[in-house]
Amino acid sequence: MWRGCSLMLTGMLLALMPALARAICADDALGRELCLAGPAARIVSLSPGATELLFSAGAGSKVVGVGAWSDYPPEAEQLPRVGDSSRLDLEAIVALRPDLLVAWVDGNSRQQVERLEQLGLPAFWLAPREFEDIPRAIESLAVLAGTEQPAQAEAQAFRAGIRQLELRYQNAGPVRVFYQVWDQPLMTINRDELIGKAIELCGGINVFGHLPRLVPRISKEAVLQAAPEVIVTSGREPGDRQWLQAWQSYDSLPAVVADNLFLEPPDILARPTVRMLDGVTHLCQTLETARARL
Amino acid sequence: MPGSSIVRPLAGLVLLSILVMMFAVTVGSAQSGMFKVLWVFSGGGTGLERTLILDLRLPRVLSAFAVGGLLSVAGALMQVLLRNPLADPYVLGLSGGAAVGALLAMLAGMGGFVVSGSAFAGALLATLLVFGLAHGSGSWTPSRLLLTGVVVAAGWGALITLILAMTPAARLPGMLYWLMGDLSHSGQPWPGLLVLLLACLLVLPLGRSLNVLARGSLQAAALGVAVRPLEWLVYLLASLLTATAVTMAGAVGFVGLVVPHMLRLVLGNDQRLILPACALAGGILLVLADTLGRTVIAPEQLPVGVITALLGVPTFLYLLYRSR
Repeated sequence: MWRGCSLMLTGMLLALMPALARAICADDALGRELCLAGPAARIVSLSPGATELLFSAGAGSKVVGVGAWSDYPPEAEQLPRVGDSSRLDLEAIVALRPDLLVAWVDGNSRQQVERLEQLGLPAFWLAPREFEDIPRAIESLAVLAGTEQPAQAEAQAFRAGIRQLELRYQNAGPVRVFYQVWDQPLMTINRDELIGKAIELCGGINVFGHLPRLVPRISKEAVLQAAPEVIVTSGREPGDRQWLQAWQSYDSLPAVVADNLFLEPPDILARPTVRMLDGVTHLCQTLETARARL
Repeated sequence: MPGSSIVRPLAGLVLLSILVMMFAVTVGSAQSGMFKVLWVFSGGGTGLERTLILDLRLPRVLSAFAVGGLLSVAGALMQVLLRNPLADPYVLGLSGGAAVGALLAMLAGMGGFVVSGSAFAGALLATLLVFGLAHGSGSWTPSRLLLTGVVVAAGWGALITLILAMTPAARLPGMLYWLMGDLSHSGQPWPGLLVLLLACLLVLPLGRSLNVLARGSLQAAALGVAVRPLEWLVYLLASLLTATAVTMAGAVGFVGLVVPHMLRLVLGNDQRLILPACALAGGILLVLADTLGRTVIAPEQLPVGVITALLGVPTFLYLLYRSR
């Protein structure tokens, strides 16, 4: 009897050995190293951006739950929801028995995720602030999910795409750009925001790039004073030109004189995922059109 | 000489209002001196200067003045009506009704005119709801009105929280700024100024009766004041003033509570003086607060409600401390 038990125990230890030997680790956006005993098989994504990056990393089939508003890729819409990113449904998450949580620094509540960590669920935090953070996030997620093969190609394609845009627009003539995030209150982005970086990459000058806050609230007066040559926004809804029409009454604005008021497709520019390459490409083409009109 | 003791402070406040508004028009994220402003007013200046001063700054300054005046007069009237020093224009849930209207419109993806329209509708609904419920089957007393209003306000508060909880993150900033009170989208100032002027003209002849009412409804009745109709009129008037202000600028807090008290501490409690003085002093406070809000960290903006509280709290506490 005892012998049987100890034999079984030895067997189990032996079975665990290879798993221990290839414990897999990755560094997250909070600067913590997360190590898993083996590739994650049941992943819960806590925000729409994390969901997209997991699918890009080839780990889509391992995602068992997603945060609200996860609408891309279409497969993600079928997955069980675990609550809004700032108010997660902790019970639903625990009930899914995940072995990895992917959290978003600018969306998820630190306290809620810490509570889940205390319950023994490992969390990996993402916070893309640079273009390079996007392929790096894909690679890290792929390491944790054991899907390096397809992820490598995705990450390299994104890097190559951004480099190509950099080369193409490095000598483009400067245009002064105002990017409108919202209208009431009137908000824009500074140069540290990814959209701000996209504007600079396309050869644009963000007229509010110097402001200290990531998403500053400004006045109409400040916009008129800054005299942008291009106004770009994604509008309240896709295809809603209302905000742009509101600028039309200020005919002292260079952007209005040159008819440089543009609507950009929302999700692909605003969400820091691989689709952002399409968003940045689109923005660069828009600014190219704007240059021609000046 | 009761005449001059009323006229002199009011003349001073009128002068101060004009100075403060002149100052407010000259400062902004683009600096333009007094001389340039006068030049633009007389028809000169470049297109940009004219747009900045005449289309953006002047309407905003006038709106701020109107909103401040409306809220202060409404607050003073509520304090007399409820005979409660803690009463402010929002104590009976009017801003809650307006907020629910405005937030529902924002949740549905509407902007601009629809939001102000449904805010006004919400404020009127709140007014009628409290009025009807407080009337009930029994008598209509100020304490009953206050209790009804406070409970209805709590109900609106719950609805506001519910709407905020259901809103996608991208739409939240607009809602929060509305709730804090924000003048950057107040639109045309003329309706607000007109309502303020009409209200002042209406309450001036009522000043004497209000003075008596402030001492209690029994005394007022004994002195020959028709208490019930006067109370209804004051309630409806204060509600209309508040609804107009909230429609223009969202729920700007603090002005309606503090300005009437400050003036009472300085000028005494004569409603014939206090009510018009509230219209002017409230306007002055809000113009100053909004000017600070748009210049302190320009070109970034602060919501005006934050500044009214930051300016008003220490001033009020100082006056209270000095008073006997």
